[in-house]
Amino acid sequence: MTDTAQPIALLAGYRVLDLSSSMGAFCGKLLRDLGMDVIKVEPPGGDAMRAEPPFARGHAHREGSLRFAYLNAGKRSITLNIAKPSGRNMLLDLVERVDVVVEDFAPGHLAGSELDYETLIERKKDLILVSVSGFGQDGPYAQYKTPDIVGNAMGGLLYISGDPTMTPCNPPETQSYYYTSLFASYGVVLALWQRETRGIGAWIDASIQASMALHEHVAFNYSAEGRVMKRAGSQHQHNAPANLFQCKNGWIALFVTQTHWPLLLKLWGDHDPALDDPKWINSNLRRQHADYINAQVTSFTSRFLKEDLAEMMQKNGIPGLPVNSPSDFMKDPHIQARGFFSAVNHPVLGTFQQPGNCFMVNGSRTGASPAPLLGQHNQQVFCGELGLGEKELALLAAEKVI
Amino acid sequence: MSPNEILKGVRVLAFTTGYAGPYAGRLLASYGAEVIKIESKKGGLDTFRHYGQHKDIDAAPRFIECNLGVRSMAINLKHPTGGRLIRELAGKSDAVLQNFRPRVLDKLGLGDDDLRKANPKLVVVKLPGFGSEGPKSSYGTWGFNLTAFSGMTYLWNHPEQDRPIGSQGVYPDHLGFVMGPTLLVAALLNSRRTGKGVTIDLAQIEGTAAVLGTTYLETSVNGDDPQPKGNHYAAAAPHGCYRCQGEDRWCVISARDEEEWSAFCRVIGRADLVSDARFVNLQARLSHRAELDGIVQQWTEARPAEEVMNQLQTAGVPAGVVQTGADLLQDAQLRHRNYFSPFADSLIGPFEIPRSGFLFRGMNEEPLRLPNRLGADNDPILS
Repeated sequence: MTDTAQPIALLAGYRVLDLSSSMGAFCGKLLRDLGMDVIKVEPPGGDAMRAEPPFARGHAHREGSLRFAYLNAGKRSITLNIAKPSGRNMLLDLVERVDVVVEDFAPGHLAGSELDYETLIERKKDLILVSVSGFGQDGPYAQYKTPDIVGNAMGGLLYISGDPTMTPCNPPETQSYYYTSLFASYGVVLALWQRETRGIGAWIDASIQASMALHEHVAFNYSAEGRVMKRAGSQHQHNAPANLFQCKNGWIALFVTQTHWPLLLKLWGDHDPALDDPKWINSNLRRQHADYINAQVTSFTSRFLKEDLAEMMQKNGIPGLPVNSPSDFMKDPHIQARGFFSAVNHPVLGTFQQPGNCFMVNGSRTGASPAPLLGQHNQQVFCGELGLGEKELALLAAEKVI
Repeated sequence: MSPNEILKGVRVLAFTTGYAGPYAGRLLASYGAEVIKIESKKGGLDTFRHYGQHKDIDAAPRFIECNLGVRSMAINLKHPTGGRLIRELAGKSDAVLQNFRPRVLDKLGLGDDDLRKANPKLVVVKLPGFGSEGPKSSYGTWGFNLTAFSGMTYLWNHPEQDRPIGSQGVYPDHLGFVMGPTLLVAALLNSRRTGKGVTIDLAQIEGTAAVLGTTYLETSVNGDDPQPKGNHYAAAAPHGCYRCQGEDRWCVISARDEEEWSAFCRVIGRADLVSDARFVNLQARLSHRAELDGIVQQWTEARPAEEVMNQLQTAGVPAGVVQTGADLLQDAQLRHRNYFSPFADSLIGPFEIPRSGFLFRGMNEEPLRLPNRLGADNDPILS
């Protein structure tokens, strides 16, 4: 399926200094996936994300955070205390040599270390600075703290998530951080295009709240139609059957449009003849009678294994897919055939399967790489690129600059 | 200069329908690309034109939302002249964006190689649900069932429920419509340098899996079968969503370290809790989570969500109102960012709409534009 040629790295040659921790880590990862050289700058004691669970085999260890391992895959790691004058100077020397700086400090923090945008562009005039924060670099909430759940709450996704009879339910992992990082990486390629065509740099101000607030038409529906979207479990607002349906061994996700409804009735030979009434073609009517429709459909789906039913439906033109557990997904033959996961060898975590790039270029995929150990590339970067000697490096380590 | 002109001079042919593909086009158009959406009146209209209760196919709110700023051509791709026009247009374009099922365009003689004959630098970005290749590539997919397939639906639930819930929404589309333009511009930067266009295959299922990487590592490194955690987090307590005064009003609160925890206790007037053995450190608080959540909710229930957030954040404790669509439109921070682009008039009346997750500091945003009516650009572009 894939070419034997080396996969194309789209943005090879561009360089990134990644000062970010939890919020912006996925931005640096995406830039790495696009082929850039991403140097992660950690404080000498390690990025705080190294202490974030889950951990390999449950043991807290600075090389054992699985979150760190995934979100920093393929980056290089150097340690640098940018609060110390010599560390700050070394950072500025590095800024001269890169195209992009990613950061997710609290707004104003970089300025406090005399590393604000104006200072950075004195050293690299067309630099692209990407700031990821909860609410943006200024404004009434700029200093509000933003763990993921706050981002989802203030952005409007949390209110519509979950069963209506229960507490709103946060999505798994830290989706608001990832989603904002995605937007931030779009900002980076736009800024690179602007730099290539007009010769100027940029400061991109990505906001977690703003990134989440365009989800699911929540704001637009209210503005255009005065409608407040609410939690609806897994039931779609405008259609039925559009929900999760019980199978023998789990559940199947169905979304049956007017096109698919007759195909479903055909496949489901012994359905109640009342459903043959042409009025049921109308999705809105089916939605108005969702309880009835869903109960009928469940009497059909509950006879099958979820994988078998999905395959049978797809063969008959009905887009059903099983509700997989994460391990079901990893074992799926389609995902395996496409080579989405590849084996990674990490000195502490061992050998394991990790997602590679989520896209292919001319039919080839760049596979997964391991995350760096803390300061693994100090020598390579400080000696190889900044021209420091071994003795200087040892001195900097003794002074806890690196 | 405005960020809405960054991609000025870039022309993108968009064969898109539904949510992810069109919105990807919108995000290119809103930064200055000339996005020409190509539909056919003979059974090849964007499905969102029929979404809802309206009669005018240009007046479906969902269609307008996803296609802001795009030009429109109506061309019958099955007619030989239609195919020839597209190949000619490809010669004068920089990129093709499409989210049709695999091989639909190839069968019409509009595959990547056909189009690249006229323009070797042409970039093609595809957003198929299951990718262009592989045993299930022909499967029908939606954001809803892709969420299920990835494992996200299973995990997006409160702990120990008897059925999965997930979301009524289509998160994979949201991921695809930002990843798509990102890859497209990256590929343009690449072809500018190499003189050769590339084809990008972004399977939306893999775009979704890319935001579950840690979860898959729990399986592959630890052999675990990760379970739903809902609003719990192993590194913070309290951490959750708490009922406030009013109907269906909530505020989330998280205390991630001892400093945030003691600040929380001070704000709620319970400094005594700091030395309470049940809550003396994170481990203790996690093991007495039910009691802790009860204390938190007792305080939040008596107050409006906004007051809970402001009091706590002012004291350095993370908190956030669980905002509704109505709240978002009034949000002081979003207003400060000039986040909403206003439309004084349109086929669906006046409305405001979110622009983007980021802004370019020091540059002024122009208002977004409505989509052109179906086929409105046939003559201007072809003549």
